[in-house]
Amino acid sequence: MTQQRHYSDAPQVDFDSAPEMRPYLAQPDAMYVGCPGKHGYLNLGFELDRNGRSFLRELDRRAPLIVQQELYFDEQLPDMPCVYILSSGGPNVDGDRYVQRFTMHRGTMAFISTGAATKLAEMRRNYSGMTQEFTLEEDSYLEYLPEPIIPCRHTRFICDTRITAHPTATLFYSEIYMGGRKYYSDGELFAYDLLSVCSHGERPDGTPLFREKFIIDPAHMPLRDTGMMGDYDVFANVLVLTPPDKAAAVYDATDAFIDPARHLAAGITHLPSGAGLLYKVLGMEPGPVKAAVRDFCSKVRLAVKHRSMPDEFPWR
Amino acid sequence: MNPILPLLQFSDATFPVGTFSFSNGLETASYEHLVHDADTLEQYTRSAALQAAFSDGVAALTAYRGALTGDYDVILDADSALLQFKMNDEARLMLCRMGKKLAELGVHLWGEDTLMGRWLSDIKDEKTPGCYPVAQGIAFAAAGIGERELYASHQYGVANMVVSAALRCVRVSHYDTQRILYRLAGETDSLYEQARSMTLDRMHAFVPEMDILASMHEKGKMRMFMN
Repeated sequence: MTQQRHYSDAPQVDFDSAPEMRPYLAQPDAMYVGCPGKHGYLNLGFELDRNGRSFLRELDRRAPLIVQQELYFDEQLPDMPCVYILSSGGPNVDGDRYVQRFTMHRGTMAFISTGAATKLAEMRRNYSGMTQEFTLEEDSYLEYLPEPIIPCRHTRFICDTRITAHPTATLFYSEIYMGGRKYYSDGELFAYDLLSVCSHGERPDGTPLFREKFIIDPAHMPLRDTGMMGDYDVFANVLVLTPPDKAAAVYDATDAFIDPARHLAAGITHLPSGAGLLYKVLGMEPGPVKAAVRDFCSKVRLAVKHRSMPDEFPWR
Repeated sequence: MNPILPLLQFSDATFPVGTFSFSNGLETASYEHLVHDADTLEQYTRSAALQAAFSDGVAALTAYRGALTGDYDVILDADSALLQFKMNDEARLMLCRMGKKLAELGVHLWGEDTLMGRWLSDIKDEKTPGCYPVAQGIAFAAAGIGERELYASHQYGVANMVVSAALRCVRVSHYDTQRILYRLAGETDSLYEQARSMTLDRMHAFVPEMDILASMHEKGKMRMFMN
């Protein structure tokens, strides 16, 4: 087992008991698990000011995660605070641990993304682990659209995301996973060791809604088989927790398709327990997949906030 | 009774739980030309089997153990956990319809005053969803069939559902489908070895292309199968 020395005041992150992580518990050769600088912590809380405008009231962070201040750059929703999460450490390396907490208080709205793609560096020992908590109070609204995650050769990453959402709240939560550094050297696709991703939702009273978990272990599963990734290299997973009337409008407005010309495919269905929607996209390059996710987010925003997404910045 | 006889009965393709109505998304995969021959059918069937191996299979084993020890709460936990894990509408519909069918059949086999009778009553009262793998767990325990056999029968059922549907919508022969079933049968024991120690909160599945096909079927109008 990994011997953890915990010097940070950030909550401990420990996935050592997960069966899929068993082969990856050795202590890193360099900086130990959980040492300062390798245990990122972010706690963001949004509230309404006296004029009813949402703002970032609570901001607590530990290196290497950085959030500076909210900006109001969305032309369609100029009162919506927009936040970029940055990492001063560059890529995630062996033994990194992260905690991210986001609280949307009653009636607030926000947009959160990352400044660049999250790179999961090549690992020799241990793994990178992250826990996330999203709490959405009554009538709150959060768009969470980080840039893609790029897992390099022999990386191992595990993430647990817990969502607590009031029935009137809306969360748009997206993840985009690249197959790897496709154009690096001779190409590096699905050369990583393990991705383990679990997202689960519940109501504020603890009633469970859904639990989705996928483990991608490219060396031990036929990932290129029809039905899994097939020929595709990029995969996006989007959870939308929203009231049933909003979910119905978004579902009706969204196509499920396979487009051989663009080598892009997408599907939508309902989450269990009437919690909302699940949208999946497969593609070859991050650009079209990101565009499909953003277009889907625009449909959600239209149904909930009666505004569409502005055009993406040309440098993103 | 020799337990191999009910095992054969419950694993039979004609066992009346409605298996023939479902294709696990194969209908759309065939229409989109993703599954068009024996090789692609084998890949697709293996994906379906792997998807079930660490989710439905785990729920079946958990319910089976609950039935053996008479712990009804474990059965209810397996039922709700599996439904909350099923990420598309048609899969949930399929599981619940087939589960209720098997529960009704089980009451005819063993009577109402049994675990199956209690579970069927709770399904009708909407206290529990009634997922098929959970029904299999209860039924196999009632019939005195072993756990490994339950898992094998469950996995065989998933693969057989796909290849049987393939005979109606993919250009493959009986020889092809039997060869696929036989090959996949050879992989089932190692799946059981991995699944047997898994708990409900460790269930996992990764079949994004299959999920997209299921969604296209859900939104489309093509209906040879219910999914």
